Parts: sequence; structure tokens; C-alpha cells
Amino acid sequence: MTDDFSKKHYLIIDDFTDMRAVIRSILRSLGVNHIDQARDGNDAISQMNHKRYDVVLCDYNLGSGKDGQQVLEEARHRELIGVDCIFIMVTAENTREMVMGAVEYAPDNYLAKPFTKDLLKSRLDKLFERKAHLSDVNKALMAKDYGAAIQELDTLLADSPKNLSDLLKLKTEICLMANRHDDAMAIYEQVLAVRDITWARFGMGKVLYAKKRHAQAQDIFRQLIELNPNLIAAYDWLSKTQVAQQQFNEAEQTLHAAAKHSPRGLKRQQLLGDLALGNGHAEAAEAAFGHAVTLAKHSILNTPALFAGLAKSKASNNKPVEALKVLGEIDKTFPDKPEAILYKATATATIKQQQGDTAGALDALRSAEQTMTQFGEASHFKLDLEMAKTYALLGQQDKATELLQKAIANNHDDDEFLMEVVRTCREAKLEYDAETAIREIQQGVVKTNNMGVQLIRQGEYDAAIKLLHDAAEEMPGNKTINLNAAKANIMKMEKLGATHADILNVRRYVERVQALAPQDWRLNDVISRLRKLAPKV
Amino acid sequence: MDFSDILASSIHDIKNSLGLILNSLDDLIANPENHIANPRQASLLQHEAQRANSNLIQLLNLYKLGNEQLVVQIAEQNVDDFLSEVVADNQAVCNALNLSLTYACDPSLTGYFDAELIQSVLDSTIGNARRYAHTRILLSADNEAGYLVIRVEDDGSGFSGKLPLWLPDTSEPAQNAGNPARTRLGLYFASSIAQLHKTPERTGRVRLKNSHILSGGCFELWLP
Repeated sequence: MTDDFSKKHYLIIDDFTDMRAVIRSILRSLGVNHIDQARDGNDAISQMNHKRYDVVLCDYNLGSGKDGQQVLEEARHRELIGVDCIFIMVTAENTREMVMGAVEYAPDNYLAKPFTKDLLKSRLDKLFERKAHLSDVNKALMAKDYGAAIQELDTLLADSPKNLSDLLKLKTEICLMANRHDDAMAIYEQVLAVRDITWARFGMGKVLYAKKRHAQAQDIFRQLIELNPNLIAAYDWLSKTQVAQQQFNEAEQTLHAAAKHSPRGLKRQQLLGDLALGNGHAEAAEAAFGHAVTLAKHSILNTPALFAGLAKSKASNNKPVEALKVLGEIDKTFPDKPEAILYKATATATIKQQQGDTAGALDALRSAEQTMTQFGEASHFKLDLEMAKTYALLGQQDKATELLQKAIANNHDDDEFLMEVVRTCREAKLEYDAETAIREIQQGVVKTNNMGVQLIRQGEYDAAIKLLHDAAEEMPGNKTINLNAAKANIMKMEKLGATHADILNVRRYVERVQALAPQDWRLNDVISRLRKLAPKV
Repeated sequence: MDFSDILASSIHDIKNSLGLILNSLDDLIANPENHIANPRQASLLQHEAQRANSNLIQLLNLYKLGNEQLVVQIAEQNVDDFLSEVVADNQAVCNALNLSLTYACDPSLTGYFDAELIQSVLDSTIGNARRYAHTRILLSADNEAGYLVIRVEDDGSGFSGKLPLWLPDTSEPAQNAGNPARTRLGLYFASSIAQLHKTPERTGRVRLKNSHILSGGCFELWLP
């Protein structure tokens, strides 16, 4: 156990020299030999970029620049630290607001200041023990092999451990990632039968949402908020269920209430801005995007879409000069990023059109079109949607419809995205029946898939592969089709032997999906089967 | 900037200072070559700094409670793990004051509570017990009548007044020999936090009595 202290590498992040010295002397007294220090967020990120740390002790409050949460976000987002690293957030206030703020990346532990040597030792001992206990689960998670992770957890659960409830909760989280909703539901029911526990009730709402039982999910999130008005994550999920039922005004109100409780959530402010703009509430949109731009300043999650949203809201509030100034910031913040050039162009087109400058708007639109060609087949669906909105606003209905058609086909099973398409059409007053189009396209894709599966069953591999290959070329952004095309090739090779050409094809499909959704739960199965056929992958 | 932000940011600064004071005192006490401070005095300083710290947390929580901003996060906890941390956090000061601080509970005992809030209740209760204990403070936990009961006892002279005393069911404030006003605020805090723990049938409470296992005062948290 002493190896945990003497052999491991520690990083202390704090803007106060004295505090760093104090923590350092505590760690030294515990027998720690390898200690590095960082004075702010950027310093910390650059050190984590050069060296792997086992333990990071980070103060939440780091003065100007990134705060502790943003350091954690960037480190996890860029995979500078893995699941095996222990990240401890040191805070002065108590930690519940941060926990309730529904952050995307949570630290392994919070430590309230001031802490004694004994407490830090006892905390670290427990965290090391927990990591060691979960090491096989974490290994599987790092390989994104959710099935294996669940199996490992089941082995641990069979010993009726001390931390049974934590393990059950972890298991449901992995089940949700792996799309095993029924397994997660069974655990929630088991826990709730003993006592009404928030995480289990909450999880039940998430499963109901995933099963498209939106009204029931909505009831659960409402109850949770009623019981605990500070449970911010419940507002976020309530608004999701409202959007799914096309209650866009209600969804905006829900997020507005959440943002009032917890204004530091970047994604929440962005969503709120989007909804408000679509609902014609330009003032609320301006406020939300304004918050988002400020919050994102030092964040890895910063995106030009925030600036475009702020500029559009300002223009709608009759502040064209300010709006153009915001657009000017895009170049400075995101130099030479094609995505930034695109958002700047579409927002410029929107603002000029609103001001009656049709020629200027068309100019900007042309520059947006040119930028779009740079993305090739890999253009992110959000960009397609942004382009479609702009076409619609400038009266180019056909082009807007064509893009939406493509976006739907590429994302036929992503309900949240499809609802954004519906919302876009409504917002842009586009004469396009998105809901019917979605239904028809979905039916087409499902039919192709089913035919492919049937052909494989009959042993008609080549016919299945051709069918799915053609579909994948037509919808290169459709993850399901690409994965099924990959699987058809793999099954053929498993039966008849691997060929170089087939392997190359499978890799192409896999890379497409990885580029779109590296965390997709279906990827691991395909990749590990491919590895067996072509060990060099 | 609203008042809760101002409060939070002031507390952040004060806690940084307290942290430095506490750790410097730790070094002073541990250093055999220290000839500046009498270790006993240093320990008393440490004790008061830690009390100031738990009072600050209590203050912030009371403020939030009054403004309905306090969020309760009840989860299943292993009580043994929980008490071991509470003891670890208070051990140094008790050692310095020549008080033994220990805990006793079944390693498999679990309970449903908000660990952070209950820890802050226990910290200030232990801080109080330090003033009255002669040689020992004992923490223990057990399952009784469908409640998780957590006790903090000392071997001092005990509480005065009518006992046992249930809070918040009584209007008669309990008196602890030294400083009644301070004790009352601490008890108000403890019983408010206890009441935030409830099931459809039961609500958390606090009880004061004397001579449970040790001879002195015994503070009990009853959590459903």
C-alpha cells in the first residue's frame, strides 16, 4: 500500500504558492516522492500533456483563467488523464452545488478545505483501494468494452461488497452507455423497492426517455424537482422530455429555471439560447448566449456556434453593430478553423438578410457554401442544419430541403437530432413536412437494414454487402448503416476467410463511425471481431 | 453579486487562511526543535481554528437553509467508512489536546444520509465535546427501531436540565454549562439537518442525554 504514496506521481494545482507548499509538505509527510506543481489551469494542462499523473489535487478556484472544473474537463476531454487517474477537486465552499450543477465530467472526489494530513491519507487510501477494486472494470471501460465491464462488475457484486450501492449505481451507468436499458431498469426497481433513492428514480426517468415513453419520464423528472428544487440535472432532463414532445416553450422555461439555480453550466446556457431564439424570445436568447460566451472563454468546449448565436440574438434585438462586433470575435478566438468560418458566414448572411441587405446576405451565403465543400462527407450534422436554416431564411427552399433530407438520412435513429430538424423547419417557417419526411426516410433505412440482415441469414453475403455498401455510400454519416455494412463484411470473412479488400472496407466503415461517435456502444464488438480477422489493426 | 456569492467567496478566503494556520500549527507541534510555542498553547490554537472552520461551514449551511438553497443528497453510506473519516479529520486536534477520539460500529452497517451535512454536524458536535471531555470522546452507530443512531459521547460532566431531551420536539432549550447561546445555535443546526432526512413515515431528530457508555454528555442523531 505504501507504494501508492512513494511510487506514484502527484500534481498539485493551486494559484497560491503558500497553499501549494502546504499540500506539498502534507504529501511529503505521507511518503510521496514525486510531486509536481502548477500555478494555473494552462500550466496544469501543459504538464499533464507531457506526463501521466496518478493523482491530481486541483483547487477549484484558480483565479482568472480556467477554473478547476474546466481543467478537469479539458484533461478528460483530451484524454490527458484516464479512468485510472485519481482527480481530486479541492474546494473551500462545500461541494454540493458543484455536484448538483450536473457537470459532464465529475472528479473522483471532492476535498473540502482546510483538510488535515490524516484526512487526506484516509481519503487517498480509500480511493486507491477503490481503483484497485475496480481495476478490471476500468480496463474494460478504457477499451470501451461495456459487456466485459458489466461482467467484471457482476463478479464484484456477487461478493456482496461493502460498497454495494456504489457498484450498483456504476453498473446502471455502464448499462445505459451500452444501451442495456432493461438491465438498468431492473436495478432501479430493485433499489427503489427498498427505499426512494434519487439516483435510482432519476435513472428510471432516463430509461423511460430512451424508450420514448416521454410523458412518463416527464412525470418522474417533475416529481424529482418538486422534492428537490435544487436538483439541476432533473431540469435538464425535464426539458429534454419537453422537447421530445414538441413543447418548446415549456422546455425553454424549464432550462431558464435551471440556469437561474446554476448559471455556470455552459451546455445548458447554449441549449437555452437555441430554444429561446427558436421560440422568438430574442432577449432571453441574448442573455443566455452572452453567459455561454463568457463561460466558454477558457473552456475546451468553446465553439463558434455560441458567438453565432449571440450575434443572431443581438441582431434580432436591433443591435446590428454589436452583432457584427461579436462576429469579429470569431476570427480572433478560432483562427483558421473552417467551422468558425462557416458559422461566421451563416450568421453574417442571417443578419444582413434581416437588415434588408440581400446582396450582402447572398455574398456571405456563397462564402458559407465554399467552406462547406472543405468538409467533404465528414461535415458534422450540426453544420448541415445551420446551412439549412440559412438557406431557408434567404428563401432558397430547395437547397434547404435537400440538406435536411440528407441530414435525416444520416441520423435516422437519433431522435434528439431529428427533433432539432423539426424545430429548425418550424423556426425557419420552412414549407417542408419534416415529420412525414422523417417517417418515410426511417422506413426506407429500416427496410434496407432488414433486407441486409435477411440476406446474411440466407448466406447471400455478397448481395447483403452490396446492398449495405450502396446505402452506406449514399448515407456516409449514418452510423447504423455503416456498422451493419461492416458486420456483413465481417460475417462473410468469418465464414469464408479474410480478404485484404474486405478488411479495408470494414476499416473505412469503422473509421467513419469513430469520427462521428468514438463512444458508440456498438463499435467495440465490430473492432474486436475485426482484430481477430486482421490482427494488425 | 448576491449575498450568497459574497458569503461563499469570503468563506473561501477565510478557509484558505485557516488552512495555513492549521497546517503551520501541525508543523510546530510535530517539530521537536520548536522552542517558540508551548505545545499546549499551539494545540489550543489549533482547536479554536478548527472550531472557527466548522462554524463557518455551519454558518453557510444555515444561511442556505434559511433561503431554501440547501440541497440534500441522501445516499446509502457505509457507516464504518464514514465514521473513520470523521475521526481522521478530528484526530490531530484531539491528540494535541490529550483526548482520545475513537469510534465503534459494525463494519457492515449502512445508512441513508447526506454525508457532507452529517459530517458537518458531527464536526461541530465533536468540537463542542472537546471542551467538556476529560480524557475521551467516543463515536458510535447502531440500528435502533428502524433508525440509524449516531452518538457522540464524552466523559465530562454531562448536560444539565431536563433529560433526555428530544429536538426539535421541545420548546425548552438545552443548556450546556459553558456557553448556552453557542450550544443552542449548534443544536438548532443539528436538528434542522436531521429533519431534512425523512421517509414518508419518519423524520430525523436529535436527542441529548447523559451517561450512555461514557459518563458524560451524549449527543444522538436519529436518522430514518
